[in-house]
Amino acid sequence: MVDLIRIELYKIFKKWRTYIGFIALGILVPLIHIAMLIEGKTTIDFMTRNIQESFVLVGNLLNTYLISYIILTSLAVHIPFLITLVSGDLLAGEATSGTYRLLITRPISRTKLILVKFIAGFIYTNLLILWLAFLSLVLGYFIFGSGELLIIDGQMVIIFESNDVLWRFLLAYGFATLGMTTVSSLAFLFSSLVENAIGPIISTMAIIIVFIILSAIQVDFFQNLKPYLFTTHIMSWRLFFEQPLDINEILKSGFILLGHILFFFFLTLTLFNKKDILT
Amino acid sequence: MLLLILFFLFIDLKAQTIDPNQLVRDVIERFSQVRDYEADIEIKVDVEFLKVPDSKAKLYFKQPDRVKLKSDGFALLPKDGVDFSPSSIIKGNYTAIFERKEELNGIETSVIKVVPINESTNIILSTVWIDNKNKIIRKVESTTKTQGTYTIELFYDENSKYPLPKQMIFSFNVDKLNLPQTFTNTTPKSSKKKFRDGPVVGKVYVNYKNYQVNKNLSDKIFEDDTK
Amino acid sequence: MIAENKVIEVKNLTKKFNNLVAVDELNLTVFKGDIFGFLGPNGAGKSTTIRMLLTLIKPDSGTIKIFGKDLLKDRLSILRNVGSIVEKPDFYGYLTAYKNLEILGKISGIDVSKKLIMKNLELVGLAERYNSKVKTFSHGMKQRLGIAQALLHDPELIILDEPTTGLDPMGMKEIRDLIIYLSKDLKKTIFLSSHLLNEVEMVANRMIIINKGRAQVEGYVKELLNKNKLFVSIEVEDGQIAFNIIKDSRWIDSMRNHINNTFEFNVEANEIPYLNKFLVENDIMVNSIIPKRSLEEYFLKITQEANNGRFNKN
Repeated sequence: MVDLIRIELYKIFKKWRTYIGFIALGILVPLIHIAMLIEGKTTIDFMTRNIQESFVLVGNLLNTYLISYIILTSLAVHIPFLITLVSGDLLAGEATSGTYRLLITRPISRTKLILVKFIAGFIYTNLLILWLAFLSLVLGYFIFGSGELLIIDGQMVIIFESNDVLWRFLLAYGFATLGMTTVSSLAFLFSSLVENAIGPIISTMAIIIVFIILSAIQVDFFQNLKPYLFTTHIMSWRLFFEQPLDINEILKSGFILLGHILFFFFLTLTLFNKKDILT
Repeated sequence: MLLLILFFLFIDLKAQTIDPNQLVRDVIERFSQVRDYEADIEIKVDVEFLKVPDSKAKLYFKQPDRVKLKSDGFALLPKDGVDFSPSSIIKGNYTAIFERKEELNGIETSVIKVVPINESTNIILSTVWIDNKNKIIRKVESTTKTQGTYTIELFYDENSKYPLPKQMIFSFNVDKLNLPQTFTNTTPKSSKKKFRDGPVVGKVYVNYKNYQVNKNLSDKIFEDDTK
Repeated sequence: MIAENKVIEVKNLTKKFNNLVAVDELNLTVFKGDIFGFLGPNGAGKSTTIRMLLTLIKPDSGTIKIFGKDLLKDRLSILRNVGSIVEKPDFYGYLTAYKNLEILGKISGIDVSKKLIMKNLELVGLAERYNSKVKTFSHGMKQRLGIAQALLHDPELIILDEPTTGLDPMGMKEIRDLIIYLSKDLKKTIFLSSHLLNEVEMVANRMIIINKGRAQVEGYVKELLNKNKLFVSIEVEDGQIAFNIIKDSRWIDSMRNHINNTFEFNVEANEIPYLNKFLVENDIMVNSIIPKRSLEEYFLKITQEANNGRFNKN
C-alpha cells in the first residue's frame, strides 16, 4: 500500500501540472508581500480608521500574521483551482493517456487503486497548503516580523497577542486542508467519470463559484441555503480567529466537510467499481 | 435669632465663594512641577466591540503638552486619555463655573464646569472634580462634538510627591464602530453576531508604575517615528 | 481434453452497449500451451471480449473462467498470472521505459529488480533505451515495450490484442518470432487477437473466427484452413427440425455455425452432395446451398463486409 502511494506520488510529481500550484503560490504570495510592503500601512489604516478616531495605536500590526490571514482569505477561491488541477487529473489522466488498461489489468483491486490515488491527492493537497503556510508565515516573518494579529470579525475588532496566534494559524491551515480535501474529493469524483481532466477541473470550479455566488446573495432564501453549501464551511478556518473559540461551530463545520469527503469518496468508489473501461 | 441666621448664611456664602479660575490655576500650577515623566503603564480594555489583550507600554510626557506612547508590542489608549495633565484637560480659553462641593470616594472635591470659549475645540463642556486640598483633578466628564461623552477617573497614591495618578479609568459612550467590510470574518454564524444598535459603554483601565519624573527627557522621544 | 487443461473457458458471454450487441453469446475455450488465434474483422467484438477477459469491462451475462477459476470472483489471483496488451500500447509518456516497467511490476506485486527489468527490455530489444522517456518512442518501440510489460511478472497466460498493428513487416516478423519463442521455449499460453488471417495462420495452433459478436468457426488452424475443405452455407426451411436431425448425425462434427435457418459447414468438396442427400432424405427442405468457399475466402468476405459497413457509415 505504502509502495503504491509512493508510486502514485512519483507519478504526480513527474507531471508538470503538479508544479503549477507550487509555482503559482510561489509567485502570488511574495507579490502580496511586496504589495503589503508598499501599501500595507494604508491597509492597516483603512482597517483601523474608526478605531484611530478614538484611540492612539502603537505596535506592529503589519506583521506576518495579518498578511498570512489576508492571504488565506484572498486565496480561498484560487487554491481550489490549483487543487483541482491535480485532483481532477488523478483518474481522468489515466483515461487520457490510456494507462487505465495497464493499471486495471494488474492484480490490484479497483478499490485499492481508488484509495491509493485518493490518498496521493490528499498528500498533494497537504503539501500545497504546507507550502502556502511556509510562504505566508515563514517568508512573511523575515519580511514583516511577528506581532499582534488584528482581525475584524463582523462588527468587532479583535487583536490577538502575538503568542496567541501561531496555534490558531496551525489549526486554521489544518482546517483549510480539510476544506481543500473536500474540493479535491469532488474533483476526484468528477475525474472518475470522464476521460479528460478539463471536465473535472471546470465542473469543480463551476460548483465552487456558483456556491460562493449563492452565499453572497443577500436574499433570505439563499442565506438559509448557506449552511448547507460546503463552500461555506471551507471558510470555517476563520472560526479559529474568534474570541472565545466556538468549538461547537468548528466541530460542526469539520464534520460537514468530513461528511462531504466521505460521500464523494464512496460515490467515486461505487461508480468506479462499476465502470467499464473503454479508453 | 435673625442675626444668627444671617451669620450662618454669611458663613455659608463665604464657603461658597471659591474662585473656580483660581482653583484651576492652582491645579495647573501644581502639575507644572512635573517637567517631564516616563512611566510604565498597563492597559486593560473592556469594550464590547474591541477585544484587545492586556498590554504594557511606556508613556512619555514633556511639558507643555507632548506625549508619546511606546510599546514593543501592540498598545492602544483612548486619545483623550493619553494626556491627563490639567493643562491638557482644560485647554485654551475657557469659562470656569463653580458648581458645588461633592464628596467623591470619601474625598472632598469641588465640582467645576469648564466651558471652552474657543470654537475649534472638540469639547463642548467638561465637568471637573478637583481635590481642593491636594490641587489635583480626581475626575473629568467631557461631552464632545463627535466622540460622545467620556469620563476620566484618576486615582492617586496619596503619598506621592508629584500629582501623578497610579490609575486611570477611562469610560466612554460611543456608537458602534463602522468597520470596513474587507478582510472581515464572515463565518457561517457571523451574521448572527450583531450588536444592538445605539451607543455602547466602554472602559479602559490604565495603571501607571515606575514614574521617573524630571529626568530631562530628550525631545527625540517625541519625534514621530513611523512605528 | 481434460478440464485442468482449459486456461480460458468462456460461456455465453454477452455484452451490450446501449442497443448495440458487441459480444453475443460467445463461447470459446483456450487450452494450456495453445497459441490461440482470436480472429475477426474490425468491430467484430474482439476488443470487447479481451476487455472482459481482463476485467476492464463487466459482462452483461455469461461466465469467464481462467485457470479454472471464475474471473469475477478470483480476479486478483487470476490477473497475477496474466500478462496483456490491450489495443495500442500506451504508457506514462513522461516516465522512462525503465520507470514504467518498475511501476507496473510493483503494482503487480512482484519484486522488481533492475536485473528483471533489464532482462525484459533486452528480450524486446529496448535495453539501450531504458532511460528514455516513453513519449520519445516510436509506435513499434512502444509495441515492444508493451510486450515487455506483459511478460514482466512471468505470467502463464499472455493476452495480446493486435500486437503487430502499425508495425513494418520486419517488426511484425520480430513479434511473431517472439510469440513462437514464448510458446515453445517458455511454455506460455497465448491468446492472440488479430484481424489478419495469415498472421494467425503463421503462429496459432487453434483459432476462432468471430463476426458481429458471434463465434463463426472454432477449431485447429490446420484443419480449418485445409484447402480441400470448403465452407458452405446451407439455408433450410426449418432450422430447429434440421438441427435436431443434424446433431445426431456425423455431420455435427463439420458444422461450424447455426443461426436460425442457416447452417455453416466446413467440409471437403466431394462430401457436399452427401450432405445434401442426407438432409433431403431426412425430409429437410433445403432452400439454398450458398457459394462454396474456403475459410480464407469466407474470412475475406466478412472482413470486406465489415469494412464496407464502416465506409458506408462514414
